[in-house]
Amino acid sequence: MHDALLIEERPHWWSDRRAELTLGALACGVLAVVLAMLVFVVTAAWPSFAHNGLHWFGSGGNVDNQIRTIFLSGDQGGPFHWQFHAWPLLWSTILTTGAAVAISFFCSVFVALFIIEFAPSSVREILQPVIRLLASVPSVIYGLIGVLVIVPFIGNHLITQGQKQSVAYAISLNGYSLLAAVLILTVMISPIMISIFCDGLRAVPRTWVEASLGLGVNRWRTYWKIAVRTARPALIAGTVLATARALGEAVMLAMVSGSVGFAPNPLDGVIFFFEPSRPLAATIISNSEELSSPPMKHTLYAIAAVLLFSAAMLSLIGWVAKQPMKKYAVRG
Amino acid sequence: MKLKTLALAGVATLALAIPASAGATTLIGSGSTAAQPYLLALFKGYTKLHPSIHFVYTPDGGNAGVKDVQQGKSQFAAQARAPLPSDAGTTYVKLFLDGLCLDVNPANKLTNVSIQQVRDIYLGNITSWTGIPGSGLTSTIDPFGRDTNGGTYNFFVSSVLNNKPPSSRVTPLLSDGLVANSVKKDPNAIGYNGLAYFTPRSGLKALKLNGVPCSALAVKKLRYPLTRYIWLVLPTANSSNKVERFADWVRTSVKAGQIISKVGGVPAFNQTAKKKHKK
Repeated sequence: MHDALLIEERPHWWSDRRAELTLGALACGVLAVVLAMLVFVVTAAWPSFAHNGLHWFGSGGNVDNQIRTIFLSGDQGGPFHWQFHAWPLLWSTILTTGAAVAISFFCSVFVALFIIEFAPSSVREILQPVIRLLASVPSVIYGLIGVLVIVPFIGNHLITQGQKQSVAYAISLNGYSLLAAVLILTVMISPIMISIFCDGLRAVPRTWVEASLGLGVNRWRTYWKIAVRTARPALIAGTVLATARALGEAVMLAMVSGSVGFAPNPLDGVIFFFEPSRPLAATIISNSEELSSPPMKHTLYAIAAVLLFSAAMLSLIGWVAKQPMKKYAVRG
Repeated sequence: MKLKTLALAGVATLALAIPASAGATTLIGSGSTAAQPYLLALFKGYTKLHPSIHFVYTPDGGNAGVKDVQQGKSQFAAQARAPLPSDAGTTYVKLFLDGLCLDVNPANKLTNVSIQQVRDIYLGNITSWTGIPGSGLTSTIDPFGRDTNGGTYNFFVSSVLNNKPPSSRVTPLLSDGLVANSVKKDPNAIGYNGLAYFTPRSGLKALKLNGVPCSALAVKKLRYPLTRYIWLVLPTANSSNKVERFADWVRTSVKAGQIISKVGGVPAFNQTAKKKHKK
C-alpha cells in the first residue's frame, strides 16, 4: 500500500509543458511587439513616401529649407507641404557609418587577435574588462569628449584659414565635421566589435591551433589563417552589431557632426573631411520638437522607417554572408 | 522556505519606505535651457523652505517643454519666448527678466555690434571678421546658434533675423551650454546666450548691442534691445496648486529675487528687502 505518490507521479506545478508554453508565449510576445512597432512606423511614414515617391531618396534643394517649409505649413495652417529630398542626410549616414565601421573593423580584428593569442595573461585580464566597460559607456559621454576636446582641436589646429575662406559662402568649417564624427563613432563601436571578435576567437578549437603549431607553422600564420578564418561568423556578427549601433547613434552625432543638411563632397579634397553634415538619426533628434506639425511628423517617421529598414537589411545581409561559412562551422 | 523569507523581507522593507516618501511631492518640469541655471538655483532655494517639495527638470528646449505641458508629460515648463498661437492650452506666467547677449571669444577685440551687423552675420551676408570693424581679426566668422528645439532660437529669429531662417553657415547646437562652450573654444566664434551664462570665469565676452551693454541694469530698465522675460508655462486646465505657489514665490518673494540676481538675471516683480534702520 503506497500512500505517498512516487516522485515522478507527484504533480509539479512548473511542468515541462507549462515552461515550454510560457517561454514560447514570451518569444511570440517579443515578436508581436517588434511587428507592431514596424507596422506603426511604416503606417505613420507612408504619407511622406506617397507624396515624394522615389525622389524622397534623391537630391534637390536645401534639405534644411525643405524641413522648415514642411514644419511651418503644418504649424501655421494652410495646405501641407511635403517635398523632401533626403539625399544629404542619407549620404551623411552612409559616410559616417561606412567609414567608422571600416576603420573599426580593421583595428578590432588585430586588437582581438592580440588580446586572445599574443597578450600575456596579466595584460589580457586587464584588457578584457576594460573593453567591456568601454562598450557600456553612454554615447552622450563620447559626445561631450568630442565637443570639449576633439572639435576644438580640429577647428583651431587642423583647418587652415584658406580652407575656411574657400567655402565660406556656403558653410563654416569650425571643427564640427565629418572627421570628428567618424573618429568618435569609431571609438564608440570598436569595443563592441572587439568583445564579439574575442568571443569568436576563443571558440576556435585549441586542437586545430595546436596541430598547426605542431606542424611547424609560425604563430602569426597559424592564428591568421586558421583562428581568424574559423572565427569569420563571429566577425560578421560583430560587424553587424556595430553597424546597427552606428546607424542608430543620434545624440553624439547631433553634437559633433555640425548639424547642417549638407552633403560632403569628396571632390573637395582635404576639405571634404572638415565639412559639416547631419546623419538620419541626428536629424530626428534635432527636429523632434516639430512632431506637432502633421506633415513634419510623417516626414520624421519616414526617416525612422528608413533606419528600421536599414537595420533589418543589415541582419539579412549578415545571415546571407554567414551561409557559405557553414562548412567551416566549429564542431565539438 | 528561504526564498519566501527573503521575499517577505523585501515587501516589508518596501512597506516601511512608503510612509517615508508619502509626504514628499515631486514636481516635474521641462523646457528652456536658457532658464536652467536660474531654475536650478530657485528649486534649491524653494526646497530649503519647503523640504517636502522636490523638483525634476529636463532641459529639452523651451518649445519642447511647452509641448510636454500640452501633452501632460510635464506639470510646468520654462520658456524663453513670448506665447504663440501654437501654444494653445497653456498659460504663460512672467517670472523675471533676462537678456540675450551676443558673445564672442576674448581673443576678439570687438566691443560693440549693431543689430544689423548681427543679422548680416547670421544670414550669411558677412562671412569674414574684416567686414566687422573693431574686431581685430581677419579670419572667417564661425556663427553658432540654437536648434529649433529652443525657445531662444525662436526669440532670436523673430527679434534679430525678422523671422528669416539662419543661413547654413550657422552651426545649430542642442543647448545654450554647448553654444557657450563653442564660443569659448573658438577664437573666431560668435554666439548668443542668456545673462546667466556670463559669470566671471565663463571665458565669454558679452558685446554691447547698439551701444547698450548686456547687463542686469540695462535689462531692468528695458534699455537693452534683446530683453526678454523668462516665462513659466502651466497647463490652463488642472494646473498643480503647488506649482502655482512656487511660481508666486519666484515672482514676488524677496528671497527668490536675491537668488535670481545672484545667478545673473533681473527680478521684475519681486519685493526688495527693506533696509533695517539703526536707532
